[in-house]
Amino acid sequence: MTERVHPLVTQAGEQLASGKMERRAFLRTVTLLGVSSAAAYGMAGRILGENLIDPALAQDAPTPKHGGILRVGMQVQKMEDPATYSWVEMSNQTRHILEHLAVTGPDNVTRPMLAESWEPSDDLRVWTFNLRRDVKWHNGDAFVADHVRWNVERWADPALGSANTGLSAVAPLLEDVDGEKRLRADAIEVVDDHTIRFHLSKPVLSVPEDLYNYPTALLHPSFTPPFSANPIGTGPFTLVELAVGDRCILRRVTETTDGQPFAYWGGDVYLDGIDYYNFDEDNQLVAFAGDDVDTIYEFGIEQYEFARALPGTILEARTCQTLCCRMQISQPPFDDIRVRQAIVKATDNTTYKDLVFQGSGDVAWNHHVAPVHPEYFELPPLERDIEGAKALLAEAGYADGLEITIDVGNTDGPWHQTVCEILRDQLQDVGIRLNINVMPPSRYWEIWDSTPFGATAWTHRPLGTMILSLGYRSGVPWNETHFASPEFDAALDDAEATFDVEERRAKMEAVERLLQDAVVMVQPVYRPVFTIINDRVHGLEAHPTQYHQFNKVWLDA
Amino acid sequence: MTMLLARRFGQMLLIMAFASLILFAIFDTDEFKKKIAVAELGGFAVSALSDDAYQQWLADKGLDVPFYQRYVNWIGDVLRGDLGQSFEKSTDVGPLLADRLWNTAVLAFWVFAFMIPLALVTGVLAGMREGSITDRSLSFVSVFTTSIPEIATAILLTVFLALGLGWLPAKAAMTQGFDPWQLVLPVLTLVLYGFGYIARMTRASMAEVMTSNYIRTAVLKGIPYRQVILGHALRNALIAPFTVIVLQLNWLLSGVVVVEVFFEYDGFGKLLLEAALFGDIYVVQAATLVAVIVACTSQIISDVGYTVLNPRIRFA
Repeated sequence: MTERVHPLVTQAGEQLASGKMERRAFLRTVTLLGVSSAAAYGMAGRILGENLIDPALAQDAPTPKHGGILRVGMQVQKMEDPATYSWVEMSNQTRHILEHLAVTGPDNVTRPMLAESWEPSDDLRVWTFNLRRDVKWHNGDAFVADHVRWNVERWADPALGSANTGLSAVAPLLEDVDGEKRLRADAIEVVDDHTIRFHLSKPVLSVPEDLYNYPTALLHPSFTPPFSANPIGTGPFTLVELAVGDRCILRRVTETTDGQPFAYWGGDVYLDGIDYYNFDEDNQLVAFAGDDVDTIYEFGIEQYEFARALPGTILEARTCQTLCCRMQISQPPFDDIRVRQAIVKATDNTTYKDLVFQGSGDVAWNHHVAPVHPEYFELPPLERDIEGAKALLAEAGYADGLEITIDVGNTDGPWHQTVCEILRDQLQDVGIRLNINVMPPSRYWEIWDSTPFGATAWTHRPLGTMILSLGYRSGVPWNETHFASPEFDAALDDAEATFDVEERRAKMEAVERLLQDAVVMVQPVYRPVFTIINDRVHGLEAHPTQYHQFNKVWLDA
Repeated sequence: MTMLLARRFGQMLLIMAFASLILFAIFDTDEFKKKIAVAELGGFAVSALSDDAYQQWLADKGLDVPFYQRYVNWIGDVLRGDLGQSFEKSTDVGPLLADRLWNTAVLAFWVFAFMIPLALVTGVLAGMREGSITDRSLSFVSVFTTSIPEIATAILLTVFLALGLGWLPAKAAMTQGFDPWQLVLPVLTLVLYGFGYIARMTRASMAEVMTSNYIRTAVLKGIPYRQVILGHALRNALIAPFTVIVLQLNWLLSGVVVVEVFFEYDGFGKLLLEAALFGDIYVVQAATLVAVIVACTSQIISDVGYTVLNPRIRFA
């Protein structure tokens, strides 16, 4: 590893010292730029004159006990192809087997994982990853840069249909060939066995964070789907048994498949195994109460009082998980911006958080950048304007009222429906009749990108720019609103290329405003995430994306 | 007798063939295929898939073949004992179904083991003296428990017995292997829901028998009351409940859905619901076959049993 410090790290230090940057934003930024997180915490401590310890290291302070099996209540799903996973649950089952180049912790700070360090060029277009040298696959092979190349090439294959092609770190590796996105010939450079370099066609700040998005787990090149049939990874656990809808049993890897002893690169791992037992979301807390499991995937706000009555500790994470009541602007009546404006004007975004989450969570303002994001720019709140909404409706030719239907799948819990019901009541005041078409979650995912009006859940991502790139750029696969604006794309490009958080925040004003003014959705609230552990469990933290990181979890028998 | 069985068996095959053909036809639509694709690959992947790639996927799954041809192939496979592959669970349907059916059979066995004696005793006691205090109170209990839906009973029992008092496990997921205690709440729920109906049938039948002339004659002849009930009334009074009980087999197969899903018990009902929601066609098909077999068999048993019990009916 070279001793060169990215010039922007020094700049970040100055910002931190002058109070222009918060400690958390500083940590995130400098670790993103390749400073190890321990060094970053030390750096921040020196600058601020505090004594800060990396919480991940601090976890080792009480003497953890080895052994035991953690029982987790979660939906147990198929493990076919990690690069096309579409559910966090299946990625959780895999997360203990397969690993990523980087890892974003419960504190939202991204640290090196299979990469020892990384180094962007000054213009943030060339990213060099130095890989760990002590990583072994479960079959005894050493982990090398060529394996990373193989994975990225695989994601880029249009026939695979991996969501990774939409990531801001991966999209600039691709080029258009005959209407299809293909990997550029010079995009990936394998420098040596332990160094790989990505040449992006534009500056991107969030490369390491993108490489912890759940479909980016690194597979061994011998992989053929289904993953569950031959689970070779670099992690401390492997799959022993998978019965979809029943159980997923993971055990420590002690030997490679060719009989050699297997040493995990990541230091002490305390659990002997992890057992996932299938409980549907509604049943997980009851299963926890009945001591069927030690922890659960999550419980919803409607079960909060029940959870408080149980012995155990409730863990809570503030997130940017949200619900977008989004309109597809290519379909009538939503192709008329006046209709969309009327809907948004009729809505009071501030009411949802209190009615749905008893005051927890954050208010959202229809632009999908959350207060937990470092680059969040606070736009002036939207005012409810009933008369204005009515006028717009009349102008659009719906003076006698408008009847529309929203599809809702409660894919993230019944609170989706509550949001739609509040929306229905608010729209009623301007003469819009909203029908709520409730359907099973799996049904909703069939139509989420085609329905004219639908309530789609979006999960947390560490940076606001990551979400906007994935969902609102012109023509990207997850663009469910069909919003297409070159001006917005350019503004987002500009923000993503800006390292300085203050400057980036200033640029986000334009980005957020462009999206908000396009009125593609009513997005009123960011929700908190809850889980619960019993008294045996130590070292487990709620993750804003419900990612399970159990390497440092231990049990007190 | 043989003729009757043969005819019934033929009917059963016909129903099976017809039901599965309809299901195949329904599940052959483009939306349905898309649904499987979304469930398999994720909504994103499907929307990003090119048309050629989607067609290729259909071909890989064997879904590009016209449904009547798939239907014929499927019948051939079924006759060879191969029920196909589950899309959702990526396993063979046969062992999966066998496993789940066994679990439901265990559940059903215990339900019947408790429900039938309870219902018959309650019904006979209530029907012996129509209008007595015993009759009124037993009738009240059976109507009361039957009129509460299973889901409500399940929730009440869970809240009181499992979460409140902590006497019983709240779920029946059997995560650590078979645990009889976990079966208590599901069995109790089904017994409470089902016994009242049979008890009421038994009571009505018993009450009718008790008013008939031969019973009056027996009583007037001075035969002890106990003997009148056991020796004369009971057999005739049980003919109607017998039919109902056998048909309960059928009810149980669909009635368990709510209980199995609520208690996370991995049985036939839960499998059926999951398969239907996912669009797991081969599982749905196999489950339909089982349901038809159970329905027809219970019908045959009930018909045959009825004739045996009732001397007034003879085979034509």
